Amino acid sequence: MIGFALRRLAWVLPNIVVLTFLLFATTSGWLGSPAAMMLGTDASPAAIAELNARFGFDDPIVVQYLRWAGGALTGEFGRSYSTQQPVAAMIAPAFPVTIELALWAILLAVVTSVGLNSLVVARGVVGAISTGFSIIGVTIPNFMLGATLITIFSVWLGWLPTTGWVPWDEGALLHLKHLILPVVTLFAFYFGSFSMVYRAEYRAVERQLFVRVAAAKGLSESAVSFRHVLPSAVLPVITYVGLTLGQLVGGAVVTETVFSIPGLGRLFVTAIGSYDYPVMLAVGSIILVGVMVTNLLADLALAAMNPQIRL
Amino acid sequence: MTMIDRRGVLLGGTSLLGAAALPASSRAQTAEPRRGGTLTVGFDDNARTMDPTFSIQFSERQVLFLIYNTLTTIGTDFSIQPELARSWTIENEGKRYVLRLQAGVKFHDGTDFDAAAVKYNFDRRLDERVNSPQRSVLRPVIDNVEVVAPHVVAINLRTPYPSLLADLADRAGLMVSPTAAERLGQDFGRNPVGTGAFTFRQWVQGTSITLERNANYWEQGRPYLDRVVFRTIPNQIIGMQRLIVGEVDYVDSLTPEHIRQVEGRDGIVVQQARVGRWYSLQWQVDKPPFNNPLLRRAIAHALDRDRINTITMGGRGTIANGPVPPGLWWSSPDSVVHNHDPARARQLLAEAGIAPGTEITLAAPSDPLLRQIVQLVSEQLGAVGLRVVLAPVAQSEYYARTVQRAINFTPMAWTQRADPDGLFFILFHSRGFANSTGYNSPDLDAALDAARATTDVEARRRLYARAKEIVVTDLPYVPLYFAAEYAAVSRRIQGWVWTPDQIPRFRYAWRAS
Amino acid sequence: MTARRFRLGLGVALVAIIALAGLLAPWIAPFDPNASGADVLSGATATHWMGTDDLGRDVYSRVLHGARISLLVGPLAALVTAIIGVPFGLLAGYARGRLNQFLVQVMDLFIALPNLVLALIITVMVGATLLNIVLVLGIVMWPEMARLVRGQVMSLRETPFIEAARSIGCKPSRILAFHIWPNIMRIVAAQMAIAVSAAIFTAASLGFLGLGLPPPAADWGSMVQSGFDYLSLNPLLSLAPGAAVALTVLGFYLVGRSVE
Repeated sequence: MIGFALRRLAWVLPNIVVLTFLLFATTSGWLGSPAAMMLGTDASPAAIAELNARFGFDDPIVVQYLRWAGGALTGEFGRSYSTQQPVAAMIAPAFPVTIELALWAILLAVVTSVGLNSLVVARGVVGAISTGFSIIGVTIPNFMLGATLITIFSVWLGWLPTTGWVPWDEGALLHLKHLILPVVTLFAFYFGSFSMVYRAEYRAVERQLFVRVAAAKGLSESAVSFRHVLPSAVLPVITYVGLTLGQLVGGAVVTETVFSIPGLGRLFVTAIGSYDYPVMLAVGSIILVGVMVTNLLADLALAAMNPQIRL
Repeated sequence: MTMIDRRGVLLGGTSLLGAAALPASSRAQTAEPRRGGTLTVGFDDNARTMDPTFSIQFSERQVLFLIYNTLTTIGTDFSIQPELARSWTIENEGKRYVLRLQAGVKFHDGTDFDAAAVKYNFDRRLDERVNSPQRSVLRPVIDNVEVVAPHVVAINLRTPYPSLLADLADRAGLMVSPTAAERLGQDFGRNPVGTGAFTFRQWVQGTSITLERNANYWEQGRPYLDRVVFRTIPNQIIGMQRLIVGEVDYVDSLTPEHIRQVEGRDGIVVQQARVGRWYSLQWQVDKPPFNNPLLRRAIAHALDRDRINTITMGGRGTIANGPVPPGLWWSSPDSVVHNHDPARARQLLAEAGIAPGTEITLAAPSDPLLRQIVQLVSEQLGAVGLRVVLAPVAQSEYYARTVQRAINFTPMAWTQRADPDGLFFILFHSRGFANSTGYNSPDLDAALDAARATTDVEARRRLYARAKEIVVTDLPYVPLYFAAEYAAVSRRIQGWVWTPDQIPRFRYAWRAS
Repeated sequence: MTARRFRLGLGVALVAIIALAGLLAPWIAPFDPNASGADVLSGATATHWMGTDDLGRDVYSRVLHGARISLLVGPLAALVTAIIGVPFGLLAGYARGRLNQFLVQVMDLFIALPNLVLALIITVMVGATLLNIVLVLGIVMWPEMARLVRGQVMSLRETPFIEAARSIGCKPSRILAFHIWPNIMRIVAAQMAIAVSAAIFTAASLGFLGLGLPPPAADWGSMVQSGFDYLSLNPLLSLAPGAAVALTVLGFYLVGRSVE
């Protein structure tokens, strides 16, 4: 197991380096001289040269990358071009917002997809409903669902705030009210894919010997489903969450933009919209590294459960 | 010195001679101000810094005027009035301004406000290493700033500069605490310290900026509000919804479309700015293809400004035949007008040797109103045989790129200044710092220089009328219209003022019970 | 399988409707999709079935014309995923040893990366033109195709008839082209339908995030975004193009999943 973990790590680490380097090289190369950008057009060539020397903008790209990566490892990402703030100070408040939003949605999606698909009453109807919702969940774009929910619940009914984010310390109720629509939007997207995985897994486990034995012992159908099938079928769903985190992130980016939620996704979209390259680079790298690390963990978890994979 | 008055979302609450009707401020006289309460302002989230030395965004100034004081201030009638400077004299043929300062004023961090602090503020703006965006305007004008006495400061100019006092009522006159600025360096913009009626409490990027009442404010008994919160609204329509349910008290930057849903509603007052922003198209007149005056005139004739006004402003904007709106002391009759005349446009294009189907690239900034305008322009130029390609560009970037001359043809919007020199000089003079069109007319430069050298209002009026005629003939800009812009405010908020520098002043506002 | 039949039928019907709308748009759209009008932001009326947008353009006509763009972007992007993904998958499935391991790991790496985030970064660098968007989508989506093809090849590789072909001395390229490829065409076709749906989904998301085709193109995602400001005046400005995206994505998805 340790050997497997080390092998995986030996593969993931260089990948992280290569990908962040590519991101660094393309964003900086494409943006041209940061010095001209910082000083404006009436800057003298001498001032540009001085700034280049001071910040090392004319060093070889590899040197610049190493300097950036060294800073990034210690949480130092430079300053934003558009807000002049340290990038780290912009990411710090955005990070927990995204995590909270995603956790609510993932939790809700895991519970409902597992719960709904483990029900033994009216299997045909429940199955059809679950399939229908999963298909809608994965095919309806988040912005469409978000716009529909806002129109119904905020514009027409006036029950919920349209968009925005209120921190916990300004009132828990207000905080939760602002959370409902975005969480539902993101949840729909997650539910669809989780539900499909769980159903497939459930059917496979159902056929296994220990389940049939349990059923033969005379346990009720419901007890078999929840006590025996569910625990075995749910683990793959959880690792699936880890493995598909990359696609889940895309959903969060759109949802945060729809609802003007000040999380990492919106920070990223805003940075892209204003060519704010230090922010774009930092958030992009955090997303890429985060995704790869979660993947690695999911891989290891899977391997721990199923020794065959380690081969 | 309003500088680059451009914001991420360009629409901005704007007023020139104060509001057409003054409901809020006129009621202010009748009711007794009440202490306490919070004012929540619907805010466009593009503020970058709370350091006036680096401020360029429109939205920032709403907050800056609460945290800081200016040396002078502008009244609703455009008059220059004292603020941190109690009085002043102009000496040496308009080349030396001596300001006598309020005594006993302290910055929020306890630092004394005095002549040395004023000198520090100007020196900081003029320092090349500080790289303030105001430097390029101040440097050619200000020679040095001199501490005459603890509370007397003199500004020595290189040339006469009649709009200096108006500039001191704006960003250039906002005074920061020297101690805090030195101590915090680049982080000062996030931890601002001024002398103003409110102190900075916190800024949650993308969500809100919170200010608290300054209990030790130097104007006795003021301010009335306990707290002012600038809460980000993603767009104006959502801002209006929050206004209706009471989540915010004030939303501005509204177009006629926006106010459709609150007009006539109880508890909400809609106020129109008397003169809105000047919308125009600009191009580089020293580079192909727009160095051809026939092409410029052809395009001016091809545009149907009435239709653009009807579609984007519900017809409530004022068609512009130049950069000067009607109703100002320097306004003049329109002697040169480019009417909508597609036949004439086609003929001019033929004379210019421009074949039908020629491609022209027009920048399309992401602001909704500018997007609307460029699409209509593209349609109308298409009708006379030009093929317009729209090149999307981020709202926050398009102005910088225009100034860097990376964008040739773009829509533009400018706010009016308290003095005609403000806009004319920076945009059209060959040495104007915001002259991004490459326009260089000796006749125009001569008129503007002459207008700077005199204080005779009648002479200046004639010179600016002449300047306008030259500009409209040469067409470095194609004028479109002066926008109709509105603010919608909760009826309970009283005592605020919409001054002609276009920023709502909440310093003396209060909340009625 | 009646449920599958039903889903296939629904998918085909949706795709057919969208395709017809796109093909016939110039004839059936009541207005020029890019012509402005003085009647701005009107609600749904007898003349303007879905109302007008902020330039007085007819939303219904724009939604119809938008189908042309989506039906161009989706299938072309799917074609790019196949052009990259199929050969890669064939090779990864057939090769053994180090090469196999390397290809699989490269594939896994790209599968893990977030498509939308990657597409955003690349699009902002290369600029949002029709061709660029097609290429970007193809580039971020190919690993799914490669993984599928690889799986198929691996299971076929061990079957007796392939063993037979190998034993009589067929070259690997010949085996792949004449023995394996015909057997996986159907699966590849199904995956392409799913890729079309994913491409339209992602392209619309890019449009919504401000990286759609430049105006005045009737790009569905961009239309949803520009209508967002006016949800309270006329929600159809956003919801109509949004529903068009959802139905198109659903149609291709159902077709793909049912054929698979």
